[in-house]
Amino acid sequence: MSDHEPMAGDSVLPERQSELSQEYRERLLLAQRTDAEINAAVLQPMMETGPKFWITVAILVAIILWGLYAWGYMIYWGMGTAGINNPVYWGLFIATFIFWVGISHAGTMISAVLRIFKADWRRPITRGAEAMTAFALLMAGLYPFIHLGRVWKFYWMLPYPNNRFMWPNFQSPLMWDMVAIFTYLIGSSLYLYLALIPDLAMARDHSVGWRYKLYRTFALGWRGTEGEWHKLHRALNIFSVIIIPVFLSVHSIVAWDFAVTIQPRWHSSILAPYFIMGAVYSGLAALATILVIVRKSMRLQEFLRREHFDALGKLVMVAGLGWIYFWFAGFIVEWYGNDPVIRELIHDEITGKLAPLFWLQMTANVLPVIFLTFHKIRTNLKWLLGLTLLINVGMYTERVLIVVGNLQRNYLPFDWGTYKPTWVEISIVAMTFAGFILLYTLFSRIVPYVPVWEIKEGRLRYSLRRIGRLLVPTAAEID
Amino acid sequence: MVGKEISRRTFFKVAAGAAAASGLSPQVRRIALEPFVRPPEEELPGRATWFASTCRQCPAGCGIIVRVINGRARKIEGNPNHPLNRGKLCARGQSGLQVLYNPDRLHNAVRQSGGRGSRIFSPIPWDEALNELSATLQSLRDPQALAVLAGQPSDHLYTILASFLEGVGAPPAVIFDLHSALDGRADYASMSSRWFGERQLPIYDLAHAQVVFSFGANLLETWMSPVAQSAAYGQMRQGSLGGRGVFVQFEPRLSATGASADEWIPIPPGSEGIIALALGRIIVEENLGRAGKHNGHAHLYRNVSVADAAQASGFSVEELRRLAHLFAEADRPLAIPGGQLTGHTNSAQAMDAVMALNVIMRRLGRSGGVFMPQPVPAERFTSPAPTSNLDEVLDLVERMRSGDVEIFMFHGANPIYELPAWVGFKEALEEVPLVISFNPFVDETAVQADLILPDHTYLEGWGYQVVSPSIDRPVVSGQQPVTQPLHDTRSTVDILLSLANRLGGTVARDLPWNDEVGFLEESSAQLHDNSISIYDARTPAGFWSLWRQHGGWWSKREIKREPEAVGMPKEAMTVPAATFQGDEATYPFHLMPYSSLTLSDGRGANQPWLQETPDPMTTARWNTWIEINPESARSLAVRDNDMVNVTSAFGSLQAAVVVYPGIRPDTVAIPIGQGHSDYGRFAAMRGANVMDLLTPSPEDQNGKFTFGATRVRIEKIGQMKPLARLEDLDGEGRESIR
Amino acid sequence: MAKAVRASAEQKLEENNRRWGMVIDLDRCTGCQACVVACHAENNVPVVGEHEATRGHSMHWIRIERYWEGEYPNVKARFMPVLCQHCGEAPCEPVCPVFATYHTPEGLNAQVYNRCIGTRFCGAACPYKVRAFNWFRPDFPEPLDQQLNPDVSVRQRGIIEKCSFCVQRIRRVELDAAASGREVEDGEVQPACVQSCPPSALIFGDLNDPESEASQFSRSRRAFRLLDFLGTDPAVVYLKGGETNV
Repeated sequence: MSDHEPMAGDSVLPERQSELSQEYRERLLLAQRTDAEINAAVLQPMMETGPKFWITVAILVAIILWGLYAWGYMIYWGMGTAGINNPVYWGLFIATFIFWVGISHAGTMISAVLRIFKADWRRPITRGAEAMTAFALLMAGLYPFIHLGRVWKFYWMLPYPNNRFMWPNFQSPLMWDMVAIFTYLIGSSLYLYLALIPDLAMARDHSVGWRYKLYRTFALGWRGTEGEWHKLHRALNIFSVIIIPVFLSVHSIVAWDFAVTIQPRWHSSILAPYFIMGAVYSGLAALATILVIVRKSMRLQEFLRREHFDALGKLVMVAGLGWIYFWFAGFIVEWYGNDPVIRELIHDEITGKLAPLFWLQMTANVLPVIFLTFHKIRTNLKWLLGLTLLINVGMYTERVLIVVGNLQRNYLPFDWGTYKPTWVEISIVAMTFAGFILLYTLFSRIVPYVPVWEIKEGRLRYSLRRIGRLLVPTAAEID
Repeated sequence: MVGKEISRRTFFKVAAGAAAASGLSPQVRRIALEPFVRPPEEELPGRATWFASTCRQCPAGCGIIVRVINGRARKIEGNPNHPLNRGKLCARGQSGLQVLYNPDRLHNAVRQSGGRGSRIFSPIPWDEALNELSATLQSLRDPQALAVLAGQPSDHLYTILASFLEGVGAPPAVIFDLHSALDGRADYASMSSRWFGERQLPIYDLAHAQVVFSFGANLLETWMSPVAQSAAYGQMRQGSLGGRGVFVQFEPRLSATGASADEWIPIPPGSEGIIALALGRIIVEENLGRAGKHNGHAHLYRNVSVADAAQASGFSVEELRRLAHLFAEADRPLAIPGGQLTGHTNSAQAMDAVMALNVIMRRLGRSGGVFMPQPVPAERFTSPAPTSNLDEVLDLVERMRSGDVEIFMFHGANPIYELPAWVGFKEALEEVPLVISFNPFVDETAVQADLILPDHTYLEGWGYQVVSPSIDRPVVSGQQPVTQPLHDTRSTVDILLSLANRLGGTVARDLPWNDEVGFLEESSAQLHDNSISIYDARTPAGFWSLWRQHGGWWSKREIKREPEAVGMPKEAMTVPAATFQGDEATYPFHLMPYSSLTLSDGRGANQPWLQETPDPMTTARWNTWIEINPESARSLAVRDNDMVNVTSAFGSLQAAVVVYPGIRPDTVAIPIGQGHSDYGRFAAMRGANVMDLLTPSPEDQNGKFTFGATRVRIEKIGQMKPLARLEDLDGEGRESIR
Repeated sequence: MAKAVRASAEQKLEENNRRWGMVIDLDRCTGCQACVVACHAENNVPVVGEHEATRGHSMHWIRIERYWEGEYPNVKARFMPVLCQHCGEAPCEPVCPVFATYHTPEGLNAQVYNRCIGTRFCGAACPYKVRAFNWFRPDFPEPLDQQLNPDVSVRQRGIIEKCSFCVQRIRRVELDAAASGREVEDGEVQPACVQSCPPSALIFGDLNDPESEASQFSRSRRAFRLLDFLGTDPAVVYLKGGETNV
């Protein structure tokens, strides 16, 4: 493609014009495909499942079953089968919990924030992102159960009237976690579902057998009348506004699990915004990873195009810059302040026992930011995949360092400790990763992955108009 | 179900079903709660009965009270009225319940039917066992072929045993246990005899001393009477109106006792006596102190050269002078020899040198000084059980080896484990046709026995013990069962009495009592009507009752005697240099085996509480380690948790390294207590037995137990073994981060 | 309905203005571990074995910390017993989601075993790291289970536990005193560690009663509190060791 893209109003040579209009037409799917063709392009990969799909599912189910066995083993014999100990009471489970909550932020970022900013490039991505949010939250929501010493008494965290007049302690950040994650999960699931309805209706109209029955149930009798569309848009607009404070508060609350204690390096006011920034960074990177993979495996090349990855890559880069800023803002204050225990922790990270993990974290989080400033890299899907995977390795390491690294040290050197995860923790963490991937994979085969109605709606907005000798893309305001 | 009455029956059915459903797990057992059908008279459900007895986890003899609920002993506390410990109790005392309720106890008398060492035991009825024993004893051609070894026997057992052996014409029992040997009790009795003309252990009035110089005595851990000494130490520190006492510890390795001292003087092993002599010389030369003139003592130090002593010990003359001034200028100085000091070849002379310091500072019979105990005013209690020297043990081994012993019986001792391997006790036992153990546990020596006739554990047994070393008055500590015996065990005293009865003749006449309790009741009656008793009763039966309630007998007020230095040397004192086994080039390090605070001489290894209690200095648990000075560790290129081979001229073992700042670079220390091959699930197969390293010295043959005279070398193996330490090594022993 | 004729024992407890506290005289402590074993015996604290002790899973409610100072030959070692400080402003209390740990009116930081669901938030929040977690099923091989103290529940896996100042002894003394119509005397309540300590380094009593021994010692010149600057207001007062008091 040419480097210089003419802006509207530039005078353009006729030969170039037809090239440009070709490009625009491709970009905006104008006159390229009929509605029916788009429907088919989206439905076909959904309905077809080759052997690769089933092998993947089998492997994931095996990992999940092994993880469930490990969890049962841990419940039966006790939490000591994991590597957590005195003083490192929290380990991989809590670190992975934060990680999953972080991943879940990408969906809201894309579908809600970008919707409010009216960024059209979001359209093919929103469902994939929202699904990511819902499933990441489901996986995250497992961890408050997994890390409980007596998980069979978990319901005491639910406020229900009982004969002892015992209510849960709402002063505890863990209760805020419960409320926030529950709210966020319900909210984003509803958001996901609402936006799904028109496409379920479309799928209903094009399928038979169990799929037909499934879609008919969940499409709620959608007929696509103007009244229904109007209500849908109203609902989506309300949701996209409401979900933003929820998503900001959820990760702040998760951060406050740590910040409200007086544990050195946890007790920091920057922890909440730092976590949010890290969540956005990690989530967007994960989204990019997923989209690269899904684009290939579901042959959605014409829906997920270069410009989408370019824009997403820019967002990831900006989020990365934000993460670096917040990390540095926290670090400079701690390092300068010279509190003895924090000094010890920083030393541990930079040159001590935690150094390998720490430098992995920094390399994996900072390097991609540099690389993603280049358009060529952002649009080279192999690079993008590698870099975004690296980002999530870095972000996972960051979570582990925050939870484990800081518990290994405290004010009394006699009571310092070391943490080493066991097969139980690794199996259970692997189970949630496999669970996420499995849910996502099944989702992509049950539900149209690309939001067809949103794409069509986007098409409606744009047209190419001739003004004199110019072909100008124009956009109309749609509610 | 509103408005409908649930019958009680339905309710319980439903409730039981729910309970069963919620308890679903293959591990849940149904435990039936059975009330006493006819409870003992003193039992009230939910209320505790407290029984007074005596702790027997070490030779000290502290009084305990045991909380018993529903016939089960739940908690041991110190007896608040007992003059020795006054309600306080040490870690080993607290752990006694795990001896009583130990899962590896023998449940009945057994024969090792699979042969010695097979560990296959079949129960035999007591009658059969006693018949067999009695028949064997009667068929002995020569009663001299009966040999008995007793470890830390209570005084009542000793009295009965001594009478029994004398009555049948057998040689007297050998009394040896490692704890008493490490305490140096035999050496102390000899020293007392030399200086004060009696074999009683002296009393140190630690509570009122102003400056305490301890030469090797770990008096706050296991030495002699640690609870009483710790209480006195607390008093010396913060309890006196006269100011806070100063405590100086002279030892090559900083023990927990040394950690509580104001100063640790890291002396070379075996140099205690030389330093004590030098201090004495300086005191006499410079006429230090306000205790009076030293003219009469000058002859003692005529051959002492302070400069030579300084050179031999590695301290400057200035330093020795400073210490001498510190000691002598105090109003109430006190010098205590003991512990590691007694393990050297020059221990007798060293003890004399240290005791001389008390004499020249005129501390005998003065507050904060040295006293002799007042004997218990009754004939039965005047001769507490003696401790044998090592040469008596070696004699026994020699007799066994040459086939002169036909029956060997042992009680309260585990000689195969406790004695150094060079003694060859196990090999000697092979020559003895019949070996009988009275121990309640299958330990290393019991595994080489043919018959085990398990005694009760101390919480189930009767007895008394004359407290020695005493505190400030005569005390007979009483022992009574706090529960019914758990298993089909039998008191050894009862067995001896019953055997005496069967054997008839002299021994039956010497031991006329039907059972142990009869003997004890009669013994107690000897103190009835004594004017100094803390309690009195109109009848001996009433007195016996009070005896049991109080937990023994003691006088109502302090009675101590001033020792007379009748044995003060008339010639100049000398202390020869200590000698060590193994040449310095091949074996560069002095080996210091030390008594573990929790396991003592190894007897605590079967109690999980003690195994899991951290060693105060290393915080390590459950295993054996070797303490090495940081500089030495660097030169050996070993770090914490590295495994090393420790080799002496006699043997070798493997242990994990603890880099230990508080030890001389030329010395290494290994705690005693692990390395059991038997003795139960908590003890067996962990760590190493440091007694295997001890190398025999010529002095050993003369009766000195030179446990401190071995040299070793250390080699890295290249493996690591993380010790179960409570502290985190990264913390580097800091109190806080600075 | 029976009328309350005189104040019940429970009511009396609520009316008193007690703050239970402990004074630890570091000049007397010899590191002998008697308190450690006494606590295990009194409170049914399980033993975890060598392997788990190496992995940091041991459960001592009181521990003796040993510090090194200096280098050979001028090296000193010091001991400091550390147990739950029963903080007045406990950081562990607000973070428990189910109120398993709370502050009693008498100043104890109480742990309700059967309410704990094992989130271990309190353990992470405690700056003294005195909370022990039941990482496994506690094992009392028979007949060691016959020794268990019936006044203290045996906890199952997944529950946090810690020093309770032997609340079962406090309760027993208070109830006995109330039933006999008299006041609790100073020194009458002795937690297991205090009772056993041979050098009498531990003193227990009512810090709000200016006449009590504990209260008087807490006003000593040598007194300090652990990690004071964190604002936890501990009820345990340490007396600095190693200095003359004359």
